[in-house]
Amino acid sequence: MDIILNQYYLQIVIFVLVNAILGVSIYMTLSTGQLSLGNAGFMSIGAYTCAILTVKAGFPVYLAIPIGGAAASFISLIIGYPALRLTGIYLAIATLGFGEVVRVIILNLKITNGALGISGIPTLGTKISKMLSSFGLSRFGGLTAQQTSNLLVLVVLIFILAFLVFFCTRLNRSRVGRAFASIKADESAAEAMGINTTYYKLLAFALGAFIAGMAGGLSAHLTFFIGPKDFAYHRTVEILSFAVLGGSDLIIGPIVGALLLTMLPELLRSASEYRLMIYGALMVIMMAFRPQGLISKETVRFWKRKLGRRINQ
Amino acid sequence: MTLVLDQVSKSFGGLAALSDISFKVNDGEIVGIIGPNGAGKTTLFNLITGIFPPTEGKISYHGKNLLGLRPYKVTALGLARTFQNIRLFGHMSPLDNVMVGAHCRTKAGVWRGLWRTPAQRKEEKSTRERAQALLQLVGIENDTDSPAGSLPYGQQRRLEIARALATEPELILLDEPAAGMNESETQDLRLLIKKIQMMGKTVVLIEHDMNLVMNVCDRLVVINFGQKIAEGTPAEIQKNPLVIEAYLGREEA
Repeated sequence: MDIILNQYYLQIVIFVLVNAILGVSIYMTLSTGQLSLGNAGFMSIGAYTCAILTVKAGFPVYLAIPIGGAAASFISLIIGYPALRLTGIYLAIATLGFGEVVRVIILNLKITNGALGISGIPTLGTKISKMLSSFGLSRFGGLTAQQTSNLLVLVVLIFILAFLVFFCTRLNRSRVGRAFASIKADESAAEAMGINTTYYKLLAFALGAFIAGMAGGLSAHLTFFIGPKDFAYHRTVEILSFAVLGGSDLIIGPIVGALLLTMLPELLRSASEYRLMIYGALMVIMMAFRPQGLISKETVRFWKRKLGRRINQ
Repeated sequence: MTLVLDQVSKSFGGLAALSDISFKVNDGEIVGIIGPNGAGKTTLFNLITGIFPPTEGKISYHGKNLLGLRPYKVTALGLARTFQNIRLFGHMSPLDNVMVGAHCRTKAGVWRGLWRTPAQRKEEKSTRERAQALLQLVGIENDTDSPAGSLPYGQQRRLEIARALATEPELILLDEPAAGMNESETQDLRLLIKKIQMMGKTVVLIEHDMNLVMNVCDRLVVINFGQKIAEGTPAEIQKNPLVIEAYLGREEA
């Protein structure tokens, strides 16, 4: 039991889950075919809004996190309206620029503490265990307080991720999801078929920003400290690589991508210096041999057929 | 008077693609637009559906000005189109393609889609049933799970028509629906176009297949080098010297 509840393992699982939520955010924007590299920017808006609200204004965490998401979403509408006229690589560059602008603004504002960042953010775990102990539940069986709070954080994150997956699958099989898919397939044909493409692109962009902002808020309350460096360009690339590795056709793709790419550096810890090299080489191999990502619709169809045959035999 | 084009011109840079085109389409008619390749027929469709604005002139539909309207608004007004170079949503199933067409006639947003409210489920069900009926109308097997892009060519053309019909148009613009079809497929298409007319819809048709055009259209507009050179019934057009010249060239005197 102690091995499973090892602090280190739990920490990794928590990072996997936060990254999976970020994976869902990039999936959302990609579902209308928009390549946005602004997700780290939205994440930082969410993280800072949330941290400032809890540390400086004393907001409760469960309120601050959705407000962080809403703030990111609001900003995404403002920059999305002009930026979404661009497509493909131009949109990517514009949103990448947006992310950098956000980072520089945060670096220079007083309220964000500039390069020092914000520290002493109450962690989600302690918040939750405090809440529980106020109900008189401080210990579960033989678990320490630390283990309990970590487990509870895990449950909260799994719940959020599960809800997002539910949200996306429901959306995909609805009128809005079909509009997204048609825009991804052929934007001007979609518009000619009566779909307000600007509205739906903006909607997907804002939903993605909301999810990224929430993930930012969550990560702020998991790591105790946030600084502008946490949300630099490398973070954007990391988020995008979840979708690149896992595939962006299906919601499960970026989640698997997040899982693998968060575990991999930990597994390669023994290879220390070569870690990033192996990581990079893997990405190149992916691009060369499986540009659609590990999981695509065809993969699912293939395995369904294969497993179906085995059951029939 | 349904669709009215009044002295419509379009130039790309210095190149005049269309100049001074005027014609009218009446309710319930089948009007054919014919002319040699590069005459500007598809440009005309793009102007009507708002893909780009005309340089000069007016286009109105039931007295409503179409200029400056984005394509999705034109579709919402009741004009739908198909594309000359097939533009289906290739990875989606045929049924989903048609259901996308119903978008502007349905309402459910994110919230209703998320919770599958009774209203949303009812709407979804009726959309699906109508889409299935339209697939049947154009003669596409509905059981396929395979993506629209893998259908045979002739079926893809018919699927485009079904998708356009799903927007519940009063007027449908067909851009070379018979292109690449064999004779029996073209025959089916002719019956389909007649059926669409019987459903009370107006049809504007760009087509090179003269056999089809002459048999199905009530009236023809002939365009050559961006200018309207003739208008009339198929019988009149067949005798028109300007049209014969445009298609066959002038006899050396």
